[in-house]
Amino acid sequence: MNRTIREALGEILPAEALLPDSVVSLPPGWTAPVAVVAPTSLPQTAAVMERASREGWRVLPAGLCTWLGGGGAVEADVVVSTRNLRRLTAYEPADLTFTADAGIPWATLREATRLNAQWLPLDPPGFREGSLGAVVATGASGPLRQAFGGPRDHVLGVTMVSGDGRVLKWGGRVVKNVAGFDVTRLTVGSWGALGVVTSVSARLFPLPERDLTILVRAPSAEDLVGTALSMALSPLPFSAVELLEPVGAVSPHLEEGELKAALALRVAGSEAQVREAEVRVFDESFSRNGVGAGSALRLRDSESIAFHDALSRWEERVPLVLRLSALPSRLTSVLQEARELEARMEASSGAGGWRPEAQPKEVGTAHGPGPTVGEGPVHRIAVHVGLGVLRLGIHLPPQTEDATERLAGDLRALRERLESAGGTLTVSQGPPALVRDVGVCGEVGPEAELMRGLRREFDPAGILLAGRFVV
Amino acid sequence: MGSEWVLADPDRLLVYEADALTSRPFPPQAVVLPTSTEEVAQVMGILHGNRIPVVPRGAGTGLSGGAVASRGGVVVGTSRMTRILEMDPENRRALLQCGVLNATLSSAATPHGLYYAPDPSSQTACTIGGNVGENSGGPHCLKYGVTCRYITGLRVVLPHGEVVWLGGQGREAPTFDLLGLFVGSEGCFGIATEVEVALVPLPEGVRTLLAIFDSLEDAGRAVTAIISRGLLPAALEIVDRNTIKAVEASIFAAGYPTDAGAALVVEFDGMEAGLALEAAEATRCCREAGAREVRQAQSSAERLALWKGRKKAFGAMGRLAPDLLVQDATVPRTRLPEVLARIGEIAQRYELQVANVFHAGDGNLHPNLVYDRRDPGETRRVEKASMEIMAACVAVGGTITGEHGVGSDKRKYMPLVFSPAELEALDGIRRVFDPQGTCNPGKVLPERPAEERPGMSTP
Repeated sequence: MNRTIREALGEILPAEALLPDSVVSLPPGWTAPVAVVAPTSLPQTAAVMERASREGWRVLPAGLCTWLGGGGAVEADVVVSTRNLRRLTAYEPADLTFTADAGIPWATLREATRLNAQWLPLDPPGFREGSLGAVVATGASGPLRQAFGGPRDHVLGVTMVSGDGRVLKWGGRVVKNVAGFDVTRLTVGSWGALGVVTSVSARLFPLPERDLTILVRAPSAEDLVGTALSMALSPLPFSAVELLEPVGAVSPHLEEGELKAALALRVAGSEAQVREAEVRVFDESFSRNGVGAGSALRLRDSESIAFHDALSRWEERVPLVLRLSALPSRLTSVLQEARELEARMEASSGAGGWRPEAQPKEVGTAHGPGPTVGEGPVHRIAVHVGLGVLRLGIHLPPQTEDATERLAGDLRALRERLESAGGTLTVSQGPPALVRDVGVCGEVGPEAELMRGLRREFDPAGILLAGRFVV
Repeated sequence: MGSEWVLADPDRLLVYEADALTSRPFPPQAVVLPTSTEEVAQVMGILHGNRIPVVPRGAGTGLSGGAVASRGGVVVGTSRMTRILEMDPENRRALLQCGVLNATLSSAATPHGLYYAPDPSSQTACTIGGNVGENSGGPHCLKYGVTCRYITGLRVVLPHGEVVWLGGQGREAPTFDLLGLFVGSEGCFGIATEVEVALVPLPEGVRTLLAIFDSLEDAGRAVTAIISRGLLPAALEIVDRNTIKAVEASIFAAGYPTDAGAALVVEFDGMEAGLALEAAEATRCCREAGAREVRQAQSSAERLALWKGRKKAFGAMGRLAPDLLVQDATVPRTRLPEVLARIGEIAQRYELQVANVFHAGDGNLHPNLVYDRRDPGETRRVEKASMEIMAACVAVGGTITGEHGVGSDKRKYMPLVFSPAELEALDGIRRVFDPQGTCNPGKVLPERPAEERPGMSTP
């Protein structure tokens, strides 16, 4: 069968579309796919998918193949990458929109728009190394979602090849469009469960004239929660409000002595707006909340941007990342939950099962040197305050079966508590055994039947994301 | 539900025979007016079991014939589902029943320093549930985005009566965005009975400008200049010569010069600091593009006056002829001038009067055709002109509706934007939600009843 697959692909695709296995670094515990292909055109992509559907080859759609482990384990005979589809196909700055192939590297897109003083305000984990298509397919977002929304709010249209090889175009490049059902939004965040996204149109925003991050530091995150919430709820136009502990996980030199935690307030806008916001943060808000302005730092423009770029790599090389979500007003109790989980893990670690010397290899986007891992505190916390999302990074996940089971039990119990209050617990990345045990996210309700129906419509042979997607 | 909430008397059904697109009335067989999710679920279950078409309906302000029983059946009206269930300023959210009016929600949020951003022109009459069904826009979506961005959760009664909760909590789970798919599904996927919305802080300050131009082209150039300078106004609205004339001759006269070619309303909002500068820059853009006059509102009364000519445009057009076809299409912003010229040509060729009102910042056009439906010749010309206008918009990369929806009115234009394979896929999606095809039938998709297509999979 393996030879047949390779031969068949060789007939459909030119030589440059057949990639050597070495281009993909497989997460631990994966069975290697039979072939990795990167079609060089839309018709080639359609031909591959049509054949795969007919033959029953299991397919994993991918972008630049930097984060194949994201979303958990998967069974795939063929990885279909968009890395050979990377043109910026249409860009009219006065329209504040563009259309690009899904495989365009984020860096290329960012540079092209920056030259016209525009940007796509998205900053999901690891985006700088990935492609536009990956951000759209995962629907992932970062701190900027609070002010600008996520991919679902920016993507105007997609071209996709369905699981059975149909070329389908949804939406367009106009900002307002209600013709037909909103399949564009359905595609955003579908992880490739409906097909391979080959092209994306999205809206852009004017690049802010000034970018300022005010960093308020304190010994622990708890010291800053009150200020964080009052800032997130103030009418000041923050583009992000992020609570970090330790702040050294983003940039080591920002951590000084006891001041391990930081609240990062980002304001991006016109000169006048940023100046005004700065004055008001210090004059009104800090004094009222009893926060010492003396511990605050100001990162201006390129420093502010560099800080947030570094923040986007916060999950890099962290073997286990959990996302705890709740209504923002419940943040204090969610933080407490995170602390209790840490304490249980540490207690458990004393009883064996966590062995620092046996850290697993890096998981996630791993290009170039990231923040130092494994030194300093065992855990790291990053909270999108206005969104009520707390990320908990754990450097030393359990190594033994016993410890894994204990942690899985703790996580399931925590998930139940969060869900009963309308929240969620998802595992962004983690050791395969743990992810299998806990599940990437909680159980989907009766709407799961609708999701399965949608998958069948787009992928009747059921070849996409075998074993991975939640329904 | 109590028999008084089941209407079957033909006189009482008249109210429900059309929405704001009045040209093709269809009286329903009955109307039911439930008050809760449970009642809606029971009604839907019964109707589904008897294969009776269901037509969800909010306030009936839609402009595409979406909330009418064009295939017969029962209208499920939401006019009694008007409770705000939770107002949660701490988390900038609210949970409400679907029949709450858009403007009522904003008023209820105002004491907390918050409001609901999407503001369709009909906001004092339209319901949140209707906004969800249509994914409504409004003049302020240039900066704030459309309805979908502000809907964070929906309780939905599916066509067969099952109740599901979609979304909530920022969609952290890696699953399909059913919430995003449901918004704008025009009642074909079920009825959203409870809606969780995100509220935003009231802006500290607002600056509103009115610029008067000799020609529509000049106004268009001003818009391009404003956007190119990196400004992001909350609204950028244009009314053309015919609209100005209609407004000024009506009881809504707003003091726009009647010899002007176009009027542009520019609005900035947000933090006080910087607003004056933004307004000054926009004023400069307008003057450089040839504005003969730029007025800035000095008070909220003046602001309302400047907006009046825009907001009351549709009402004023009633003067021009007995009937008005409010069209809706979107084009890339930079193609506006050529499309407007093309629309002028088309109208002239069909000997019709067209009055344009549009959200220039979004490229969302409303070319309005005035006619008399008692004149069959003129009615036919309006239909032909509409088709050509839609084709012209699609030809430059636009689409057939920006905010009014497809309903029953625009199904015929769907093949202009979707291939047969795409229409087939849309139909497939619809069947996932409604295998029986009885939930708002005859809407959105071109004529092709599900029952004539055997052998397709059903969930």
